[in-house]
Amino acid sequence: MRWEGISVLSEGSRGSDSLPWLFYKDGVRELRLMRGFETEELDKLLGIMQRVRKASPDEDDLLTLLWEGDFVFLRYRYVDLTLETAPVLTEGERTRSDQEEETEPEEELPTRAGVVNMSDFDGTLYFLDEREIEYLQTEVEREYRADLRQNVLSILLDIFEQQSTATVRDEVIELLDVLMVHMLSAAQFQNVAYLIRETQAVGLRASELAPAHAERLAQLPVRLSAPEAVSQLLQSLDESNAPPPAADLVQLFEQLRGPALATVLEWLSRLQNVKVRPMLEEAAARLASQNTADLVKLIGSSIPGVALEAAKRAGALKTAAAVGPLAKALSDGDVALRTAAVQALGEIGSPGALQSLERGLDDAERDVRVATVRALSTRNYRPVLPKLDAIVKGKALREANLGEKMAVFEAYGGMCGDDGVAALDAMLNGKSLFRREDAEVRACAAVALGRVNSPRAQDALRRAANEKDVIVRNAVNRALRGGSA
Amino acid sequence: MTAPERPGTTGAAVQERAATRASSTFSDPGSDGYIRRTGRGLIISLYAALRAIRLYPLENEAVQNAVQDLADVAGALVEKEQELEIRVSGEFVFINTVRLRLDLDNYASFSQLLSLFRSSGIGSLHLHTRPQVKDWQRFLALVLVPSQDPPATRFHQLIGRLEQQGLTAFQLGEPNESANDDERAKSKEVAKKTYSQSVAVTKDLMTSVRMGRSPNIKKIKRVVQGIVDQLLNEETSLIGLTTIRDYDEYTFTHSVNVCIFSVALGKRLGFNKLQLYDLGMAALFHDIGKSRIPSEIINKAEGLNEDEWRLIAAHPWMGALALFQLRGQQELPYRAMVVAHEHHMKLDMTGYPRPIRPRTMSMFSKIVAVADGFDAATSRRSYQTTPLNPAQVMQEMRDNPRRGMDPVVVKAFINLTGIYPVGTLVVLDTFELGIVHAVNPIPEMLSRPIVRVISDAQGNLEHPGTLIDLAEQLEDGMYRRTIIKTENPERYGIRVGDYFL
Repeated sequence: MRWEGISVLSEGSRGSDSLPWLFYKDGVRELRLMRGFETEELDKLLGIMQRVRKASPDEDDLLTLLWEGDFVFLRYRYVDLTLETAPVLTEGERTRSDQEEETEPEEELPTRAGVVNMSDFDGTLYFLDEREIEYLQTEVEREYRADLRQNVLSILLDIFEQQSTATVRDEVIELLDVLMVHMLSAAQFQNVAYLIRETQAVGLRASELAPAHAERLAQLPVRLSAPEAVSQLLQSLDESNAPPPAADLVQLFEQLRGPALATVLEWLSRLQNVKVRPMLEEAAARLASQNTADLVKLIGSSIPGVALEAAKRAGALKTAAAVGPLAKALSDGDVALRTAAVQALGEIGSPGALQSLERGLDDAERDVRVATVRALSTRNYRPVLPKLDAIVKGKALREANLGEKMAVFEAYGGMCGDDGVAALDAMLNGKSLFRREDAEVRACAAVALGRVNSPRAQDALRRAANEKDVIVRNAVNRALRGGSA
Repeated sequence: MTAPERPGTTGAAVQERAATRASSTFSDPGSDGYIRRTGRGLIISLYAALRAIRLYPLENEAVQNAVQDLADVAGALVEKEQELEIRVSGEFVFINTVRLRLDLDNYASFSQLLSLFRSSGIGSLHLHTRPQVKDWQRFLALVLVPSQDPPATRFHQLIGRLEQQGLTAFQLGEPNESANDDERAKSKEVAKKTYSQSVAVTKDLMTSVRMGRSPNIKKIKRVVQGIVDQLLNEETSLIGLTTIRDYDEYTFTHSVNVCIFSVALGKRLGFNKLQLYDLGMAALFHDIGKSRIPSEIINKAEGLNEDEWRLIAAHPWMGALALFQLRGQQELPYRAMVVAHEHHMKLDMTGYPRPIRPRTMSMFSKIVAVADGFDAATSRRSYQTTPLNPAQVMQEMRDNPRRGMDPVVVKAFINLTGIYPVGTLVVLDTFELGIVHAVNPIPEMLSRPIVRVISDAQGNLEHPGTLIDLAEQLEDGMYRRTIIKTENPERYGIRVGDYFL
C-alpha cells in the first residue's frame, strides 16, 4: 500500500486481515480523501471495510458498498473486475433488422400519426404542480414503508390460485416454504402468520387442487409447529432485547398447531422474557383447548415442565379425560406435579376426579395433603368424610403444623354436620387431664364447630367462650361470630 | 480495463472543480456540508422571493419579508465564504462549486431557478459583497421582466440594465458552453460503454435464467450503478442510445432501455441515488419472465396464436418466480419481483395478470410501466414489425386513459423526453430532416427540442449532421426552424441509433 507514492504498508498475505488485499481484491486501486472526510465520512468507510472483511463471496463487494455509501469527501479509482469488456457500439452495425428491411414491404403510417397538434401542448402543462409533487412524495414514502415480503407472498399465492399447472404449483409451494423460513429468521412474524392463514384459505378455495398440493399446503403450519422450529422461535424471542410487536406475535402464535403444544408448555416454565410470556400463555391456552387429547398425553411427559403445565391446563379446561393421567401423576410425580394434579383434579371435580384425589390425603408431602383437603372441601366431597374423621381423630395430625391442622378441621367441619359435634366438643372442652388436647387442636376444633354452625355446635362453642388460652378463646369467639380462624 | 473514478455522484469536471476548491479556494474544513445545507436554503429563499415578486407588488409585506430572508441567507454565505456563486450546469445547481442535491423537498424551487436562468441566458450569478435588500428587489424584478428575446440576447440586455441601475454587486456569467461540450463528448463515450456493458450483462442475465443458472448479481448491480451514475451526471447521451433498438437483441436492449428511462424518470421525479438504484434494478429485471418462454415464441415474427399470446402474457408472473433464482444477494429482490409482476397492470388493476388479493400498484411499477410501454411501442420487434412514432406513443399514453398509466408519471415522462422524444425523426419547416437529440432545457420550449439536422432541404443526408436549437430566433422574433411533422425513419432508410453513437 502506497501513500503519495511511498510504500507504507506491505502485507504478503491475501487473507481478510490484509488491508491492501481488502481493497485490491475488489478492484480498488486508489483512495483520495478530501478535506472533511475525517469528520464526516471516516466512520462510514471503516464500517464498510469491516463489513467487507467479514462478507461471504455472495455478499456485496467493496465497490458496491462504496457506491451505495454515496461519499462526498472520498474518491476512489478502481478497476472493474466484474464487467468484462463489452464490444463498443459502432456506427452502422448491420443487424438482422437492416437486412430484413430490404425485403419487407414498407408500411405507410396513417396520416394522423406524424402530425402533432401544437395546441395540444401547453408548455406549462408538463410541470408538476404542488399537488402532484405531494402525491409523488406520498407514493414514494408508501413505496418504502410498504411490506414487500407480504406483497411478494400475495403474488405467489395469486399465482398458485390462478395457475393450475402442477409444476408451477410445486414451484410456488417450495418458494413459500423457503420464504417461511426466511421470514421467521428475519422476525417477520406477521408475514409468517399471513402466509399460513392464506395458504389454508387457498387450500379450501383453489380450483383443481391436487391432493398432493393440498397436503403440502396443510403441512406448512405443521412444519411451523414442529418442536425444533417452535423451540428455535421461542429461544430467539427469549433472548431478544427488543421483542417484535405484540400484535405480530399474537398473529403468529395463532397459527401454531397441536405439535407445538409440548414445546410451548415446556417454554412456559423456562421463559424469562416477561413481555413475551402473556402471549405465550394465551397461545398455550388456545393450543391446549384445541388439542385436549395431546394435552392429556403430555401430563405423562417425562419433561417435568411439560407435565406440570399440561396438568394445570387440563384442570383449567376441566378435561375429564385427564383424570387418569392426573391420578397417575398424583402417585408418581414430583411435589410440584402432584400439587398441580391435586388442583387440576379438584377443578375437574367429577366423582372420578375427586375419588382419585383422596389418595392425596396420604401424600408424604404436607403441601400436597393441604391442597388435597382444600380441594375436597371446596367440592364438599362427603364420601371422604370417614377418612377425614379418622385423620381428625388420629395421632398423625397432632404432629402436623397449624396450617395443615386448620385445613383438615375446616374441611371436616364443613362436611360432618351434627354427627361430628360430639367429637369436636370433646376436643374443645374435654377436661380429662390425660386427654386434654393442646391449644392448636382445640382452636381448630372451634373453627370446625363454627363451620358446622348448628345449635349444638354453637352451644359447645359458648361453653368455651371464657377459655383462658388466648389462641383458643380467639378461635371460639371468631367461630361464634361466624368468622373463620 | 479502465480505471474510472467515482466520487459519490459527481462528474469528472465537477470533481476537478471540487478538488481545486478543496485544495486551494476554501480552507474551512467541512464547509461543503455547510454550503450544501445553506445552499439549499438559499435556493428555497430565492424561489420564495421570485414567487412573491411575481404575485404581489414590490412594496407588499410578503415580498419584503421574502427578499429580506433571501438577503440574509445570501449575505451569510458571502460573509462566510468571501464570495457566493450560483451556477447552473445541465440540470444541476452549484453553489461555490458544490453541487446541491435535488430531491422531492426542493424539486419545485430547483426547477424554477433552472428555468429562470436558462430562459434569461444566465449561467451563473456571482456575489463578492453583500447586496442590500433593495438591490435584491431591483435585481429580481429585472430578471423577471417578461421577454420574447432568445436567452443570449436577453443575457446581454440584463447586463446592460444592471449597469444602468448601478447593481454592480450582481455579476452575471454566461453558460459555460465549451466546458459543457467537452463534458458532453466524454459523457458520450462513457455512455456508449455503459450501454454496451449493460446490454451484455442483461444478455448474460437472461441467458443464465433461461439455462437455470444463477446469474452474476454483482455484474448486474454494477451496470445499474453505472446507469445511475451516468444519468445523474448527464442524461442526454444515455437516453440517446435507447434509440438503437436492435431487433436481434430486442429483449436485452429493451430491458436496458427501460432501465434507462425508468432511472431518468425517477431522477425527474426527485428520487435520491439509492432509490434510483432500486428502481434501476427493478426495471432491468422487469421482463426476466420472458427467459422462461421458449425463444421461438419470443422471436416469432409472424402472428402468435392464442396459446402463444397466453404464454407471452404469463411473463409478468413468471418473472416474479424467476427472480427467486437470483442467488448471491443478502436479500431476495422483492421489489424487482413486485415490479416484474405488476408492470403490465393498469391503475385500476385491470391489465394482466389480474390480482386476486387486493393490491395497490407500486410507484416503481407505475414508472416501469410507462418506460416499458414507450420503449416497446417505439421499437421494432418480433411481433411488431412497424414501430410507432414516439410522439404518437407519447400522445396516446397521455390522452388515452384506457392505457391505465399514472397521469403524473406520464406527465413527468413527457417532461423528460419532451413532446418530441429523443430519437424522433422530424421534418422542419425548412424541409430539412432532423432527429431529436435532447429535450430543450428551457421548460417553456418543450415543443422546440435540440435537433440534429441530418439532411438538407433537398433530402441529401448528412452525417453526423449539425445540432441546432429550435428555440433559436431570427432578429424579427420568428423562430429559425419549426417542426412541421414527425416521420417514420424507416421510410427514409435512416437508422436513428447511428446518430447517437
